[in-house]
Amino acid sequence: MIGVQDFIRYYDWTFEYVRSEYGEEALQRYWGEAIAFNSQAHANGLIHAKGLQGMAQYWGHTLESEEAGFRTILDVDRFRIDMYDCPSKGFLISLDQEEYHDYCQHCMGWIKPIMDDAGFTIDHEHNHHGQCWWEMHPSGRARPAAPPPIRDDRDVRLRPNWEQEKHDLWLQSRPSEDAVQ
Amino acid sequence: MANGDFYFAINATFYYFTERWGDDALVAYWQAMGREYLAPLAAQFRAGGGKAVARYWADYFAAEPGADAAVSHTNEDAVVIEVRDCPAIAWLTRSPEAVLHPPPHPMYCQHCLHINRALAETAGFVFTLEGGGGTCRQTFNLREQAAVSGSQEAAK
Repeated sequence: MIGVQDFIRYYDWTFEYVRSEYGEEALQRYWGEAIAFNSQAHANGLIHAKGLQGMAQYWGHTLESEEAGFRTILDVDRFRIDMYDCPSKGFLISLDQEEYHDYCQHCMGWIKPIMDDAGFTIDHEHNHHGQCWWEMHPSGRARPAAPPPIRDDRDVRLRPNWEQEKHDLWLQSRPSEDAVQ
Repeated sequence: MANGDFYFAINATFYYFTERWGDDALVAYWQAMGREYLAPLAAQFRAGGGKAVARYWADYFAAEPGADAAVSHTNEDAVVIEVRDCPAIAWLTRSPEAVLHPPPHPMYCQHCLHINRALAETAGFVFTLEGGGGTCRQTFNLREQAAVSGSQEAAK
């Protein structure tokens, strides 16, 4: 059977299977449809019903149960996650497994469609080494298309191993090169 | 990291394959998984025989949340897994959040058949599955032993 104990390895393999059989666009649709609105129906329900509070509730529970190294901040106008040690990516790194070339991309792949639908925009950056930050803001409020300032001394961007060769940055739910300035 | 909610992702993936690409595509995906993703496990089974198969599945079911299964190594060449309460079907039907998700895919139980059959073939075993819907009996027989049993059955 496919169990949950080795789900991360299987998930990564599945990404590459879908990409190689059906193409990159099909993989994006898989995340944006099957994972966002079927697999993560509980997250979608919470975020639609409770907004920022729902995000805090969902990620607080999920990341704790996955024993992730992280912290969250719930503010009146944003929800923030600092991920210091992603259990999924960390597991794959420990096994030296990289079936799909950009495993981290799947998070934006399912979270963005939910946020679009629920009326939130995302600023996000990951370093492909198990570290990332996220900020979700209600849509429609004018904000600069730039990374936020360092929030406090627990901001993941202050971690000594934060700077890596390749970072992916998303601003206002778009890849940074496409973000509206 | 055995988070039971991952069963929802597995089930969603099965739905996605059949809705977008059809039943055959889902079966092809499972077969590829058994042949390719599980190739290192097949090598382990081939090297370690029935003992390795039994140990692997005993450990595997012990680590799945809510699983109730017994693994017996009835003789040198045959391993029987009696699944009394499948952890995946249990989670997809009885967990608190099951009500928010689709029921188990109509072909859900077939993933064990197709993945394990492909795995077993690579490892030199023959896999059979009886039952489904939360309880089943899975058997790995060493291929030579299965051939002997088959010819004895035919002679009767």
